[in-house]
Amino acid sequence: MSLLAVDGIDAYYGESHILRGLSMAVEEGEICALLGRNGAGKTTTLRSVAGARPPDVRDGTVTFRGDDITQTATEDIAIRGVGLVPEERRVFPNLTVEENLHLSEVSRNASNTAGRDVGDLPETRPLSELYEAFPRLDERQNQLAGTLSGGEQQMLAIARALRQAPDLLMLDEPYEGLAPQIIDDVEDAIERINDEGTTILLIEQNAAAAISIADRCYIIDQGQVVFDGGAEELREDEETRKRYLGV
Amino acid sequence: MVDIAGILLTGLQQGAIFALLGLGLTIILGTMEFLNLAHGALYLIGAYMGLFIVREVSVQEGLLAGIAADPAAVGLGSSFLVALILTPILMFVIGVAMERFVARPLYDRTEVEQLLLTFGLALIIEELAREFVGSQPFSSYAPDKLLGFTVSGQADVPLVGLYPRWRFVVIGLTFLLIGLSYLIIERTDFGLIVKAGTRDSEMVRMLGIDITRSYALVFGVGAALAGLAGLVGGTIIDVAPGIGTNNALVPAFLTVVIGGAGSVVGAIAGGIILGMVAAVFQFQAPQWSQIVLFGFVAVFLLVRPGGLFGSVEVGE
Repeated sequence: MSLLAVDGIDAYYGESHILRGLSMAVEEGEICALLGRNGAGKTTTLRSVAGARPPDVRDGTVTFRGDDITQTATEDIAIRGVGLVPEERRVFPNLTVEENLHLSEVSRNASNTAGRDVGDLPETRPLSELYEAFPRLDERQNQLAGTLSGGEQQMLAIARALRQAPDLLMLDEPYEGLAPQIIDDVEDAIERINDEGTTILLIEQNAAAAISIADRCYIIDQGQVVFDGGAEELREDEETRKRYLGV
Repeated sequence: MVDIAGILLTGLQQGAIFALLGLGLTIILGTMEFLNLAHGALYLIGAYMGLFIVREVSVQEGLLAGIAADPAAVGLGSSFLVALILTPILMFVIGVAMERFVARPLYDRTEVEQLLLTFGLALIIEELAREFVGSQPFSSYAPDKLLGFTVSGQADVPLVGLYPRWRFVVIGLTFLLIGLSYLIIERTDFGLIVKAGTRDSEMVRMLGIDITRSYALVFGVGAALAGLAGLVGGTIIDVAPGIGTNNALVPAFLTVVIGGAGSVVGAIAGGIILGMVAAVFQFQAPQWSQIVLFGFVAVFLLVRPGGLFGSVEVGE
């Protein structure tokens, strides 16, 4: 059983049909990359999995650990173990680094979980562990997140998602707008997180960077999967890369 | 006696009331992206609540005059302290009910629909007040004593001169309430959710937090603050059906515009700035004071479209 299975989903933004019967799966323990041009439907796929609305998923199913989560509320999907590092990071600029990280702890409060079908919640990942992994955040615990650099905000967005101790971590364009040196740092962080047992779904426009750390890749185009195979295979398949990714 | 200290004090006192109103409006606007034009009506309810708890007044018009056992003495005639405890509790309940039955069905609708419904509700509440107690203004109900201290009359304060004692109490009380709200927002998990939610409520949900559970509480707190502003306001100005719009909704709205939508600190700063500007013109050129307020806010917006601390674009 795949950790995440997307089976023939049709997703709409208003009346525009974005995903057309898209199917894909993420296996436990791997780094899976979802590639494609701007507007191919990558972020829509990710939002569909995360239960964010819009898009409106009208057909097909999304299953996580075998449970149908197609129409499950986004907060319920998150608390069941799907962590998200969204496009443009979306850290809370008016909260400190520590407060951003504390929100995940708040999600475990009885006032938030009572009466919800959340199963057995794992312990949140200890702050000390996250600060050890991201020393820059440790130095800036009490600084407002809005004052951090782009790279630091990206680290914070990743740490915030990891605090939930998710089984699946989805990252949407984590390298966007970052300097090459910082991209290396983020790459290292993703690989380390994966080594420690978290399954990764990575969405990237920067195909080369994504292929270099992925085990397996999907390419989507016009809302459908057009390539599904190993990262090695894609690296050697220049025609497919040129045709769908332009590299 | 009109001098700078007097103007500043009056500005501070008005501004603190605006800040209380703006706080409630801004947290509701920021967390739920819901613009509540009935916010002024909550102030109105608070003011009438205070009136009938603190005084026994003679009601000559309206339904209440017909059904009251003794229309010449309607009300509890209790102490201001009782009103100070009862008003926020009752207003909190009203706010929670409002979230459930008025706001919740409208979260997914357009801003225009929200504005129409909440403005309609404000008009209904104002007309209900007219129906029940008539259009007559009731004189303000500042108490003579509070906790055993004399709070009426004038105090002779160095640098300021003679200034009404009650106004000092109002300043102290409103700042205490502002401080308390600030602590709730800054120091509690509920406050953390509200603060994060004012910037990005979807992201809060994506961290596993069911933010809709906080909505009722946010509305309740916002209504309690508006009600308290009304209770305090009614000790300074006469209570009549029109004060909800003129003395509460308009300044609350301008306060949020100056401070920036969704910003707690902005509402506090914006309220005080607005109160000061209003006070200067009330003393110097009272006939201009309303126009100048709008003019001031318009110019302010040209310079800083997002307000002092704003980042949330309304209608985004």
